Amino acid sequence: MTHEELQGQYELYAMGVSEDPERSEIREHLNRGCEVCMKEMRRARQVASMIGASSAPIGASSAPAAPSAKLRRRILASVGAEQRGFGWSPWLGLAAALSLVGAFYFEARERSSLEELAAVRSQMRQQAVDLTRLNEAMTIMNGADTRQVNFGAGPKGKVFVNPASGVLLIATNLPPAPAGKAYEMWVIPKGAKPVPAGLFQSQADGTAMHVRTGPLDMNGVTIAVTLEDQAGAAQPTSAILMVATLQ
Amino acid sequence: MLLSLLMAVLAEGDAELIKRLQSRDPQALAEIYDRYGRVAYALILRVVRDAAIAEDLVQETFLRVWNRAQGFDAERGAFGPWLLSVARNRAIDYLRSASGRERNAIEWEDVDHPSLYTNMERDILASDDARVIRAALLKLTPQQREVIELAYYEGLTQTEMAERMGQPLGTVKTWVRTALKNLRDELGVAVPA
Repeated sequence: MTHEELQGQYELYAMGVSEDPERSEIREHLNRGCEVCMKEMRRARQVASMIGASSAPIGASSAPAAPSAKLRRRILASVGAEQRGFGWSPWLGLAAALSLVGAFYFEARERSSLEELAAVRSQMRQQAVDLTRLNEAMTIMNGADTRQVNFGAGPKGKVFVNPASGVLLIATNLPPAPAGKAYEMWVIPKGAKPVPAGLFQSQADGTAMHVRTGPLDMNGVTIAVTLEDQAGAAQPTSAILMVATLQ
Repeated sequence: MLLSLLMAVLAEGDAELIKRLQSRDPQALAEIYDRYGRVAYALILRVVRDAAIAEDLVQETFLRVWNRAQGFDAERGAFGPWLLSVARNRAIDYLRSASGRERNAIEWEDVDHPSLYTNMERDILASDDARVIRAALLKLTPQQREVIELAYYEGLTQTEMAERMGQPLGTVKTWVRTALKNLRDELGVAVPA
């Protein structure tokens, strides 16, 4: 059987639904290291995986199917990363012991509780901010008109640009800015001056994310990042660290 | 958590993540789940059409990935395609057993062994790609789309498709061949030499 005759069979083989004689023929070619067949199989697996990836409604307006939150815990628990359940018994014993201490202790506890409450509130506020940023980022990433471009060499990552929602920048290998400094993102419309698009810091591990919301003209727009004073600058004052242009 | 979730879209980070997975770091599995859990679930749900069963099969998928990651080439491997292949095959396997159909003579080992998923486009979750795939599928005729879906989502052979559709085998083969050729052309699937 020639390779020409096997065309259209590679994907079926990759999906595990091919039949003899083609199945045996492909297997035999693969077993003897046939380069044509190996290349065709890579292509076929690519096609199959792309069909599979299209099952998820990425960028679709309808709500995507999502597994329950419990599933993540189940999977991690099954590989030994189980988070222990909250054990009540020691705490009940502790509560009994506490019932014996004086009123002054409870006052101290109350103060401590109020401090903890304030810390929790602060944490919740931060989480609310994070969630808002996450929503903004997801809106940009999943927008129907969103385009993405990679940048690299030194700091590297991706820029997602949506004409209605804005710009999302995700970077790695970007060291934390020196004291008093911050990274500033610039939106540079085609043939025009850079427009400030917000300041951000990178994490200790060199990762960073920045969102600039609001509409923009995507035609030939360039997204760049420079290091500036932490108050920000009206125009770039240092060398460009990252640059990505939408063609 | 916010950043780690978004960082997951960076395909460049996959190699490091896979190496951590190979060294049995459960946090690496957590990050992989955050990246691929939803797409694996959507794919499996489409096959089995039952949320509880789909979750069981997603768990099976990630356990299989956890146990077989050693065979994966962290530098050249295409992790997303491999994981989706494992997910899809688990679902088809379930479907075949549940409907009493014979399991295919091809062992899944032949089609979802991690070493097979090298030198491919890695970032199959890019939203641009998803749009292109859907557009390509929509360009097929209804019969062509149906045979592709029967093969991929139900694991039917061409003979089984012909029986299901009440069509001559030759006709089904023509639809399959044309559909796959059109998909390849539309997707412009590039494979490194």
